[in-house]
Amino acid sequence: MPLASRLGCFVRSAVRGIAASPVTSAVAVATIAITLVLVGAFALLVSNMEALLDEFGDALHVTAFLEEGLTDAARRELANVAGTVEGVESVRLVDKQEALERFRRGVGRGAALLEGLSENPLPASLEITLHPARRSAAGLDVVVHSLSGLPGIADLASGQDWVEGYLRAVALIRGIGVGLGAILALATLLIVANTIRLAVLSRRDEIEILSLVGASRAFVNAPFLIEGVLQGAAGGALAALLLFLMFRLVLPGFEFGLELVLGGLAPRFFSPLETLGLVAAGAGLGLVGSGAALAAESRA
Amino acid sequence: MSRLARPWGRGRRAAGEPAAAGAEGAVRLYHVSKSYLAGSFALRDVSLEFARSEFVFLTGPSGAGKTTLLKLIFAAERPSEGQIIVLGRNTPRLGAVAIPPLRRRIGVVFQDFKLLARRTVEENVSLALDVVGTPRREARARVFAILKQLGLQHRRHHHPLSLSGGEQQRVAIARALVNEPDILLADEPTGNLDPDLTLEIMDLIASTATRGTTVIVATHELSIVERYGKRAVRLEGGRVVEDRPGRGAAL
Repeated sequence: MPLASRLGCFVRSAVRGIAASPVTSAVAVATIAITLVLVGAFALLVSNMEALLDEFGDALHVTAFLEEGLTDAARRELANVAGTVEGVESVRLVDKQEALERFRRGVGRGAALLEGLSENPLPASLEITLHPARRSAAGLDVVVHSLSGLPGIADLASGQDWVEGYLRAVALIRGIGVGLGAILALATLLIVANTIRLAVLSRRDEIEILSLVGASRAFVNAPFLIEGVLQGAAGGALAALLLFLMFRLVLPGFEFGLELVLGGLAPRFFSPLETLGLVAAGAGLGLVGSGAALAAESRA
Repeated sequence: MSRLARPWGRGRRAAGEPAAAGAEGAVRLYHVSKSYLAGSFALRDVSLEFARSEFVFLTGPSGAGKTTLLKLIFAAERPSEGQIIVLGRNTPRLGAVAIPPLRRRIGVVFQDFKLLARRTVEENVSLALDVVGTPRREARARVFAILKQLGLQHRRHHHPLSLSGGEQQRVAIARALVNEPDILLADEPTGNLDPDLTLEIMDLIASTATRGTTVIVATHELSIVERYGKRAVRLEGGRVVEDRPGRGAAL
């Protein structure tokens, strides 16, 4: 029998098995779906927060404010020194005049406030850009640590504290997601295994007859494994659908919370490939659960 | 009765052809004992040989060990002692992987038919072909051919529970024979049938022996044994108490 034909035979048998016990199958599918909705929600939150970090990372740089009274040569020398620090991509010298122009542009109509000043109060500075791979809290720390205390540098500014705090939040949420996911996955495996075990018990006559006519263990087990995979994939697909509906219908109601967590970044749903991954994760849960049930049955 | 020809046959043996040169008996048992509980024997020191194409009855009262003997032959059980050679394979030494291929060469018919209620007649019979990977189209043709010979082709899309007892047993026989087994085992195949159906089913089973299949029928109905006049091995308390040779065909 060609492989496709044999697979078709197994799938038909698996579908027959699901149809024979719709309630237990539905419970297994729902359990897998609930697990994947929770894990998927955490994954979505973490991936969106990481996207914000990526976006913010592009703008990450260190600003070294220079002391007053430095000569042009001293400033250029400091710029050269900063350029040699590990992880630094480029250094740009911003003189007092350019700093004032930027400030004017930044405050808009408030620039009138500057009219009364007799001299430019803004210091010259070095704008230090990091290599893309080093745009992180650790990368910032290396640069800040290397430049602090250098003669001629009055102060250093970076988003390091904010980045570290945000990274901790992402790590915490990811940890909760992984921990919760692991516990729920284990519970789901037990439920799927139990469902398949019930299916095996309810079809003992079929297994006995198949064995009688010379079916190999693989031939007997294949429909049950496929049954687990089908239930898992259905659970994964259901989870993806529920997450999508929540993303579209429920999430907009939490605008303030979103703003707090993601800033101005528009939340992003799973890509088609990631959605397929969710379905595959469900199928994997179903496969492992049914495999465990069959292993337990063969030992019984 | 020779209704059962082999239209789909693989040309393994012609009807009544003796065992191949050098071939041994289809089934040989050497000092076989089987005990399920310590000190209690379902079979005790049984030595028997069944030749290829032979038609044999196993007789004896309930609990004599007939079913245990059949189970040992198709490797559903392992003997506590002794050796069993089935189609040249020493079954007690076979691993789990080697047993299915052996069973594909053995057809088994039970008193309670063992049909799957949720599957059609065609699907039930096709099971024996599915497990050996017979292409779907060929399997359908072979199932149709065997059902036609057993007069069940018009029932192939029915489910077993909508059939009479005799029809269900014929489906079970079709499933046992569709793969052209070397050995056919029947455990009280007419135990649930009325006398007319009993003869019909026994004639069907007997006809397979004339086509080269070794047929071993366990029954406690002595009238059937007398009618066919074939070799009869009588078991009592797990021992062979009589091994009476056949007196010739009485079909």
